[in-house]
Amino acid sequence: MRRQLRSRRAPVFPHSYRYRLDDQDEVNQNYLADEEEEAEEEARVMVVHNLEEEEEEDEVKEEEEKNEEEGQGQPTSNTWWRKLQIMNEYLWDPEKRMSLARTGQSWSLILVIYFFFYASLAAVITLCMYTLFLTIGPYMPTFTERVKPPGVMIRPFAHSLNFNFNVSEPDTWQHYVISLNGFLQGYNDSLQEEMNIDCPPGQYFIQDGNEDEDKKACQFKRSFLKNCSGLEDPTFGYSTGQPCILLKMNRIVGFRPELGDPVKVSCKVQRGDENDIRSINYYPESASFDLRYYPYYGKMTHVNYTSPLVAMHFTDVVKNQAVPVQCQLKGKGIINDVINDRFVGRIIFTLNIET
Amino acid sequence: MGQKTPQIYSVELNGAKDMKQTDKGDDKDKYRGLWSTCLELRKNHHKEHVTKEIDLDDHKLSNKELENKYHTNIVTGLSSTQAAELLARDGPNALSPPQETPEIIKFLKQMVGGFSILLWVGAILCWIAYGIQFSNDKSSSLDNVYLGTVLALVVILTGIFAYYQEAKSTNIMASFSKMIPQQALVIRDSEKKIIPAEQLVVGDIVEIKGGDQIPADIRLLFAQGCKVDNSSLTGESEPQPRSCEFTHDNPLETKNIGFYSTTCLEVSISPVGTATGMVINTGDRTIIGHIASLASGVGNEKTPIATEIEHFVHIVAGVAISIGVLFFIIAVSMKYRVLDSIIFLIGIIVANVPEGLLATVTVTLSLTAKRMAKKNCLVKNLEAVETLGSTSIICSDKTGTLTQNRMTVAHLWFDNQIFMADTSEDHFKQTFDQSSGTWASLSKIITLCNRAEFRPGQERVPIMKRVVVGDASETALLKFSEVVLGDVMEIRKRNHKVAEIPFNSTNKFQLSIHKTDDPTDKRFLMVMKGAPEKILEKCSTIMVNGQEQPLDQSTAEAFYTAYMELGGLGERVLGFCHLYLSADEFPETYSFDVDAMNFPMSNLCFVGLLSMIDPPRSTVPDAITKCRSAGIKVIMVTGDHPITAKAIAKSVGIISANSETVEDIAKRLNIAVEQVNKQDAKAVVVTGMELKDMSEDQLDEVLTSYPEIVFARTSPQQKLIIVEGCQRQDAVVAVTGDGVNDSPALKKADIGIAMGIAGSDAAKNAADMVLLDDNFASIVTGVEEGRLIFDNLKKTIAYTLTKNIAELCPFLIYIIVGVPLPLGTITILFIDLGTDIVPSIALAYEKAESDIMNRKPRHKKKDRLVNKPLAVYSYLHIGLMQSLGAFLVYFTVYAQEGFRPSTLINLRVEWEKDFVNNLEDSYGQEWTRYQRKYLEWTGYTAFFIGIMIQQIADLIIRKTRKNSIFQQGLFRNKVIWVGIASQIIIALILSYGLGSITALNFTMLRPQYWFVAVPHAFLIWVYDEVRKLFIRLYPGSWWDKNMYY
Repeated sequence: MRRQLRSRRAPVFPHSYRYRLDDQDEVNQNYLADEEEEAEEEARVMVVHNLEEEEEEDEVKEEEEKNEEEGQGQPTSNTWWRKLQIMNEYLWDPEKRMSLARTGQSWSLILVIYFFFYASLAAVITLCMYTLFLTIGPYMPTFTERVKPPGVMIRPFAHSLNFNFNVSEPDTWQHYVISLNGFLQGYNDSLQEEMNIDCPPGQYFIQDGNEDEDKKACQFKRSFLKNCSGLEDPTFGYSTGQPCILLKMNRIVGFRPELGDPVKVSCKVQRGDENDIRSINYYPESASFDLRYYPYYGKMTHVNYTSPLVAMHFTDVVKNQAVPVQCQLKGKGIINDVINDRFVGRIIFTLNIET
Repeated sequence: MGQKTPQIYSVELNGAKDMKQTDKGDDKDKYRGLWSTCLELRKNHHKEHVTKEIDLDDHKLSNKELENKYHTNIVTGLSSTQAAELLARDGPNALSPPQETPEIIKFLKQMVGGFSILLWVGAILCWIAYGIQFSNDKSSSLDNVYLGTVLALVVILTGIFAYYQEAKSTNIMASFSKMIPQQALVIRDSEKKIIPAEQLVVGDIVEIKGGDQIPADIRLLFAQGCKVDNSSLTGESEPQPRSCEFTHDNPLETKNIGFYSTTCLEVSISPVGTATGMVINTGDRTIIGHIASLASGVGNEKTPIATEIEHFVHIVAGVAISIGVLFFIIAVSMKYRVLDSIIFLIGIIVANVPEGLLATVTVTLSLTAKRMAKKNCLVKNLEAVETLGSTSIICSDKTGTLTQNRMTVAHLWFDNQIFMADTSEDHFKQTFDQSSGTWASLSKIITLCNRAEFRPGQERVPIMKRVVVGDASETALLKFSEVVLGDVMEIRKRNHKVAEIPFNSTNKFQLSIHKTDDPTDKRFLMVMKGAPEKILEKCSTIMVNGQEQPLDQSTAEAFYTAYMELGGLGERVLGFCHLYLSADEFPETYSFDVDAMNFPMSNLCFVGLLSMIDPPRSTVPDAITKCRSAGIKVIMVTGDHPITAKAIAKSVGIISANSETVEDIAKRLNIAVEQVNKQDAKAVVVTGMELKDMSEDQLDEVLTSYPEIVFARTSPQQKLIIVEGCQRQDAVVAVTGDGVNDSPALKKADIGIAMGIAGSDAAKNAADMVLLDDNFASIVTGVEEGRLIFDNLKKTIAYTLTKNIAELCPFLIYIIVGVPLPLGTITILFIDLGTDIVPSIALAYEKAESDIMNRKPRHKKKDRLVNKPLAVYSYLHIGLMQSLGAFLVYFTVYAQEGFRPSTLINLRVEWEKDFVNNLEDSYGQEWTRYQRKYLEWTGYTAFFIGIMIQQIADLIIRKTRKNSIFQQGLFRNKVIWVGIASQIIIALILSYGLGSITALNFTMLRPQYWFVAVPHAFLIWVYDEVRKLFIRLYPGSWWDKNMYY
């Protein structure tokens, strides 16, 4: 429309605008009556133009059309219908064989260019990642400060740190037993003797040599756990109201308890009457993780590494009431009082043994 | 449509009355309703409003009829009780101030703009998301609440800031209007009283002296030699004579009406020295009141930048919603719970909201506003800062804007020659030949035949700035002679005046008789000035080179040629003649009687012509040239006469030297106007009368087909129509003006520019911008700043949008791939509202890449602030590269801590389980939940640093859109470096200073991680340089079209 105005640039003013007035009205009417026809007309004219120009002009034209409509104040439904049509045409214009205002040619150009662009980006990121992998060894993590000091977990563990069971109802504690049994399969004496070596206790089991050499692991036999091994008492004391709970320190590559002092475990009532727990038996009796299980060399080379355990046998706990228990690691370099992290160097659980 | 166009000065009695009777408030509401119903209706309504014209027929009535109509008496005036009653009925005689928007509304308005809405929606979505989370899991994290609160805070704080900014400029405005309570001399109860003009009522008889402001619309009852300055109302720069005769049907044209707020310049001393008039309209019912209400009825146009920002918001919202929905579908099909998917959806939408941009844009605009204020452009509405930049048509008022609004001697004609006088504002350096004897005589006449006087006590004031008592032309002559000859008062004293006939419209001359200062010469000197043809009639000789010569046919012809030429320049021409009265006939004791005219009135000696014009301001032609080279069409719209208007248009360059109007061509070719090929004419002068008969389409065609247009003799309503016509051409229209008559157009325009010194309060109120120095050239500065800010806002938005992708990608990867969340919400806030704020503001200080004043104004609909290439390039190119870089830092941190990328994949569920406190990493190490959390925060910090480092590169590449950074100069914009420093310092503080505050989710990062993304930053820089290189190398190519934003 603008183009037409411009082309007939003949100024009207101030004389003899009569004819042009009529002319103008006619144009307007035509324009309103069949915009599509005009659009086609324009399209035909534009075929000769550059591809991209076509795109832009078309967009502008569409916008104009939209505005035009709003200005005309046609019935709402009609406007919406027109809008839908325009939208439809924008998505796929059969006349110009264009989708989203681009022809197939234009689309393929875009796709090719983006393909190459993203391919090269992918190449760049691959190169970066490759460089990254070059800088980190597969056997030892570069830094371990985030995972230190070690965290603590207990077994049996079933999503909850509350041990609630009724001695006389095996159903309430059977799953603990199954869980412990399953967990201790890897600690079976036969398996340990077959896979691992018996290394001298009381000293670090340091294995020099190349990083990529397979490392030997020290035995930690199930039988070390004595009464809590499930060998003598297959119910781990749950049937008598004297539950065994195994405590395991999180593995950390290269972690060594400082100064040759093994890390000890000690449990007590966290809150409330100290005497709610009258006695705990620890197995191994030292209640500590022997130094020979350290350091850990990472799962690539230290394949058969067996985490040492400390079993707590709660032989005399007040029954029929929840007793919060806190088991802490004690030793040099061990932190067990981080406020935010209740699993670093300590673990808190409750025992509620009903009879 | 043709008949609907308003008629100038037409009087629609009933329509107008109806309007007045209905309650004003109701009226407005009613119309507001209409506006929203239909655009079509809006137009009609507007027409109605425009056609609402002046209801006045008092000028046709006789004095007697007037007395009856207003129940008053011309001699005794109203009685006090009558006056009091009328005052109670009509209210005080003052314009009701424009309805002040309550401060609270103004304040709230700042918070619901296009951008703010986006943030509000984001905030509400956040709260909804938290609500969903909370109903699901009571211990859910409060991140969403914080985010929502921060978003709301940003809107509120930015709103407060913007409000404060605008309040500040409003205060500056307020300081301008120092209203001195006006007094009026009124006859009441047969007594003359001085009362405040506010208390005038219709029917009051008022007396007016020269120099007074007319206190209300008055019908003159008695006036002699009365002249008024109507320039603020009609734009006529020449004083208009006023008498008590009814001369024209049109109340604006008739001579017996004086208008409220115009100035009475002079009244003949004899016989009473005052003009008497009857008040016929007071307060809002005056003509001025009508125009003021017209202005308040015109809606403010949405600023282009507001439109652009709305468009931008649409784009952002579109992108946000499409990505959100897409990933919602993906999440659902990945068997996420629907509730979680909804949370993701909201998260994605919110992540797309550029939190910092609102603040940045506001600060950027106000920085520019401040810069412009320094250059004497006071911006009242922050958004108007940019509007001047996109202006494509300036409709300028003539008087006071383009011209100095002060008559000045422009040309002289004597000795058969036209001399030019200096018309510049202050420098008064006259270069014409002053040696001729004719000049000596002429200068004497100019000095003596003049009643204007300087107000005493102004010896120190520059001559051109002194206050003068007297009408405009006399003032011009006085100042002219003072400059050329020195102390005029002294000369007048030496040449004692013995008799005088002041100028009046029937005589059309002014005469005075003096004793000469030459003691040997006992003759009286009679000097006379007046309309040139009247003066010539009385002459029989003419002075050439100081010698009197008989006035023959050829000299008379020379006179007429000169007269026509000067008249054709739109100048007001005066003729001067003198006569030495012989000492024999008129001895020293002779008593001259001006009534009997006992002295010769013929056979005088013609000396010369002098022409005056309200000259253009000296800075204007240059400014107009600049506007033109910047592709801005300057249209003159004035209430003044076509000839004057055209002459001024020519002299300032609105009509360029080599372009002609149809009439010019006809004259040159000596053919009828109708025969001229109209396409040859580049310029056109359209008068109000012609405009009245034009339909909208015809006006459109005039506006599109002529590059140089002058509208003369237009009414305020027509100015509105012209502005609307320009706006129909998709033009962004700026209107400059100073008078009350301009205020409706000022308001209608996309940007109204009022003159700060000469401008009336009405104009300043209606305008978006005020030129504090009244200098049209300041507009050019404004255009430049506006264009620059548009370009720079583009850069700012591109810069901001880029990192949006880098902030969004982590979340998407988190959903799809299941890695631990790489970037937390709070961290994102610290980027958007922390590290990125100063840099994006710094881009506002960037210098223009090329000469922005040599390119066309942007097309309102084509050249968007945020266009497709900008969004695509920011999102899909740089944004993606940035994400990759940031992910590299993230992966590096995790890998070096023990989690290799392969382990991270699909780790999300285990990772986030609170009871899993022995999660195994790639090395077999076991992590507690809190340790993992801490590592996650380290990841956030790493990702944050990654983005920050690459945003530095992004900032640098955004300095230019086309030129190489090295062409632009890496260090020219120092603020950019302040921005970079701020980025780094804030990041350092966050990581190392606040790294121990866990609530902020920042941790101390190993120093080497800061450098992981540096190669990527360089990659971004290089890539963008390549992009720019190709754009420069292949303008117009596919690359240029798709990659240049």
